[in-house]
Amino acid sequence: MTGAPSFGIDRRGVSVVAWSCYLFLLLPSLIVIPISFGNPGEIQFPPRQFSLALYRQFFSDPAWWGSLLESLGVALATTIASLCLAVPAAYALSRSRLAGRALLRGLFMMPMLVPVVVLGLGLYLQYSDWGLLDTSAGLVLAHVTLAVPFIMVSVMSGLAHADVALETVALIMGASRLRIFFRVVLPQLSSAIAVGALFAFLTSLDEVVVAYFVTGTSTMTLPVKMYSAIRWELSPVIAAVSTLLTVVSLSIALGIIALQRPTEANS
Amino acid sequence: MAAPQMSSSSDLNPKAAALLLAPLTIVMLLVFVYPLLTTAWTSIHPDTGLSLAAYVELFHSTLFLKTLRTTFEISISGTLVSLLIGFPVAMHLTVQPPRRRTGYLILVMLPFWTSILVKSFALTVVFGNQGLVNQFLGLVSGGTLNIPMMFNRTGVIIGMINFLLPFMILSILGSLLAQDAMLIRAAETMGAGSFRIFWRIILPLSMPGVVAGVLINMTLSIGMYITPALLGGRQDMMVANLVDFYTRQTLDWTAASATAMVLFAISACLVAMLGRIRGAQGLSGAAA
Repeated sequence: MTGAPSFGIDRRGVSVVAWSCYLFLLLPSLIVIPISFGNPGEIQFPPRQFSLALYRQFFSDPAWWGSLLESLGVALATTIASLCLAVPAAYALSRSRLAGRALLRGLFMMPMLVPVVVLGLGLYLQYSDWGLLDTSAGLVLAHVTLAVPFIMVSVMSGLAHADVALETVALIMGASRLRIFFRVVLPQLSSAIAVGALFAFLTSLDEVVVAYFVTGTSTMTLPVKMYSAIRWELSPVIAAVSTLLTVVSLSIALGIIALQRPTEANS
Repeated sequence: MAAPQMSSSSDLNPKAAALLLAPLTIVMLLVFVYPLLTTAWTSIHPDTGLSLAAYVELFHSTLFLKTLRTTFEISISGTLVSLLIGFPVAMHLTVQPPRRRTGYLILVMLPFWTSILVKSFALTVVFGNQGLVNQFLGLVSGGTLNIPMMFNRTGVIIGMINFLLPFMILSILGSLLAQDAMLIRAAETMGAGSFRIFWRIILPLSMPGVVAGVLINMTLSIGMYITPALLGGRQDMMVANLVDFYTRQTLDWTAASATAMVLFAISACLVAMLGRIRGAQGLSGAAA
């Protein structure tokens, strides 16, 4: 072991705490997976028999799969809209000396720091004036504000690592700004943008509180449906929904880890 | 194109920069800042004209005061437990060789990605009255022992630390990794015991990470909505749930807005403290 301080502490005690903590963080979500393949009448671990009944139940109930489709649609629209808005803005912030840049940066990062319930109530009050309550467009706009900070963080750090000299050279050779952005800057940012996009998608897909305030019966998302299912009925279908969501979250997380590896190696 | 550039040649001219920033700025002002202003306005402008009556009423309301106290009790105890567990875990990560540390870090980060609803549901499966832990306790004790750990204060705190731990661990890990291993070697050579090394060197040097971790945990827990709603009992309502209660149950938008503004002010104070010790860069890094 090179360089790592030994701390001279009781290693075994620390290891026990650490491993209990890893198990406490991971195990509950993983236990739900086998339960979802169990008997549809009960929430049981280990399941007594293998069955796909809970998944059949999920996909035969339009209230469930309808909310899944709504969630996927909203998450996709949120990802596209927030990329279109945030990537040019991040580029402008890092490649200009405009006055008030710090202020704008603060504005774009702020949704991360405000309790979601405060934003949820604000949007509820505002949307009832604007007639945006219970509309997918309203929810997408709300989710864009929550997704933007993640894209900002990722793309700004991508821009900080990108080679400015390449842009200067292209400019001297007479390329237009637009051409430089699409041909020189964007290709260097591809993995930072992909990471930001995955963050944005997952943020929207998992978001409950704001959606709970601004959606209604016709735009109910999967998390909102799941929230009321856990709160009021605790039906075993939730195990199947949880498994689906966990698989999606874990694939996205692994995607991000894989994408971030090479950039870390470069820096 | 190629307008005269004032500073570095790769800089965008101000007009182009403003054009690129405008769409996002407009959306953020309309869908983020404006709703917050509307909430503030609603709280001071009930039907009768401008007044601070809603705030005066709140601070005389037993429900609000009790909820505020519960919120602080839960947030502080959740943060403390998270610190007590998080510190040894951060130490465990620090002494690992880099490769293995990355592996363990993924274990810490994965729950960060899992939906809070999935985590809450999963915790009721493990710690509920018929849950795995109680099944095990019943088996060991011959059916006499059953500890209610869900739908009460304990449940909220279990759910909270499950959510908060990754943030605490990462924050402390940063300041542990920054410590100079030679300092500890030197202390060892000079004959300092491990207890002394921990209290005199490791702990003081990791204070920035500890303080940041505590503030991040407090900021996150003070505004919690889902965890108390799903894992707590009726007595464990937090301020965020109260906002929802006024909005949906009593339809009192003025009270809801005033409550939301109090919550906003508390979390703004915490964020400001965090910003002070970390700088604006650290804030975004901490949240991401």
